Amino acid sequence: MMEDHQHEKAPLFGRWRSWYLLVIGWLAALIVFFYLFTKHYS
Amino acid sequence: MSYADWAVLAITLSAIILYGVWKSRGQQNLDSYFLGNRSVPWYIVLLSIMGTQASAITFLSAPGQAYTDGMRFVQYYFGLPLAMVVISVVFVPIYHKLKVYTAYEYLENRFDLKTRTLTSFLFLLQRALSTGISIYAPSIILSSLLGWNIYYTNIFMGGLLIIYTMYGGTKAVSYTQSLQLGIIFAGMFLAGYMVVKLLPADIGFSDALHVSGKMGKLNVIVTDFDVKDRYNIWSGVIGGFFLALSYFGTDQSQVGRYLTARDLTESRMSLLMNGLVKVPMQFLIMLIGALVFVFYLYFKAPISFNEGLIRQVHTTEYAPQMQALEQRYDSLDGVRQLQVKALVTALDAKNEPAIRDAQAGLKVSESAALQLRDEAKDIIKKANPAADTNDTNYIFLHFVVNNLPKGLVGLLIAIIFLASWGSIAAALNSLASTTMVDFYKRMYKPQASDEDYLRASKLWTLVWGVFSIAVALFASNLGSLIEAVNILGSLFYGTILGIFVVAFGMKKIRGNAVFWGALLAEVAVIAIYISNIVSFLWLNVIGCVLVMAFAAMLQPFLPSKTIKSA
Repeated sequence: MMEDHQHEKAPLFGRWRSWYLLVIGWLAALIVFFYLFTKHYS
Repeated sequence: MSYADWAVLAITLSAIILYGVWKSRGQQNLDSYFLGNRSVPWYIVLLSIMGTQASAITFLSAPGQAYTDGMRFVQYYFGLPLAMVVISVVFVPIYHKLKVYTAYEYLENRFDLKTRTLTSFLFLLQRALSTGISIYAPSIILSSLLGWNIYYTNIFMGGLLIIYTMYGGTKAVSYTQSLQLGIIFAGMFLAGYMVVKLLPADIGFSDALHVSGKMGKLNVIVTDFDVKDRYNIWSGVIGGFFLALSYFGTDQSQVGRYLTARDLTESRMSLLMNGLVKVPMQFLIMLIGALVFVFYLYFKAPISFNEGLIRQVHTTEYAPQMQALEQRYDSLDGVRQLQVKALVTALDAKNEPAIRDAQAGLKVSESAALQLRDEAKDIIKKANPAADTNDTNYIFLHFVVNNLPKGLVGLLIAIIFLASWGSIAAALNSLASTTMVDFYKRMYKPQASDEDYLRASKLWTLVWGVFSIAVALFASNLGSLIEAVNILGSLFYGTILGIFVVAFGMKKIRGNAVFWGALLAEVAVIAIYISNIVSFLWLNVIGCVLVMAFAAMLQPFLPSKTIKSA
């Protein structure tokens, strides 16, 4: 399983780890944005 | 509805059915019927994943939820992107490597037949019941709104989609879902645009956001921790993560979607893109609800958005009581309009004391209106004890039907059908694939011909479709239906996820221990739910952890005769 995972090239970034970081980073950015949004309009 | 609305409805529904049948012609065996010959591109798989998760209730209930409770429901989806990453790393490579049709096939490879059968059975049980509710939920709304008979609406709602799901299998489901989502997004965008456009000329988008925020509707993030509170950031990230992990990683209605992708890369891409777009999409849908709330501060709102129930009350002895209540409610309209205008003026002038005064006044009027709405519910309940007085699902629909131009109303009704069909079709396909692969082919006819398997697959799709319609015909008094579906899922998802987590992560645990551990965990989850100790989202966490704990404790006492590896 791990061999398949490592040999498979991810689109755009080349590495899947970059995609995983993008998804997690995007979620973190959204939560920060929602927090500021809530504070600003409350 | 006008003739234009009927025409739009008929054309849209017919086009979807024909498109599904056309795109999926030439089915030959189980591989083409349940996996689309593993040839579907990632963007269609992405839309299919989203269309499977989002039912009609998602598009109706979410704006209504923002209207009544604010936008904090968005937090429910915070665990989803994290789950997409874990599934891409752990689950998908194994499913692709073993070339499985269903997620549960892997469990026989890792444990034994009885663990695979137990997990398949738990899936069939919860998915069949929740699919029935998924048919009933939009049907009851349409029947109340349009005065249609609920039984015929259920049959119409479920019957039409069985045609293309049975005929075309998974490819029909995926391709129709992508078209359905396109139409749904266009309709929602149009509705969102119309809310802002229909506000008074001097109220812009920014003013509407400020008013909505001051009334507590833009509460996207709630940081207070309370295990009984359904939607806060903690239950959203932790409970939502476990729920999404179980739903997307082990529920065949979702696994069957991304197994149709061309290869591992395309499966992963579809899941990760879902992780990127789902939360913002849900945020925008709920924002529409928060803006609809502002709209009804300026324009008259009914005392109950389910006006069918109000009309019923007016035919009973409780009519005078309801009429008096409605008069009191209407008299609040003028007051609220003046208060919201004062609030906007104060906001524009950035006059903090005036803002606080106007906000306080508007909140008092709102709580008075809420009290009157509660009294109306009591009267409805007296007049019709079987009535569901929760009108959350009707709020957005009421806005659309009463404020959008002719033709668009027909489009919205079509959207309700399409959104329902997307999730129900995927559910029927997964029920049929699990029955065929985990029971029929595994236990009853392991060596039949392709024709026989294909014929049986279509038959089982029909059987599950009829069964789900039957459940829908008997479903009533379930309260909030979106919650009923989520609670039903949470009762089983934790246990199912626990079995998979043990399979992936606890290499020393064998079949007997995980089988009995899962049974004990399921009993415990049901007991905890009945005791009402925690909010339902936490049941996913508890079920999963209990399976792991029970399996670890039982393993020394229940050694398996054969040891298998993943």
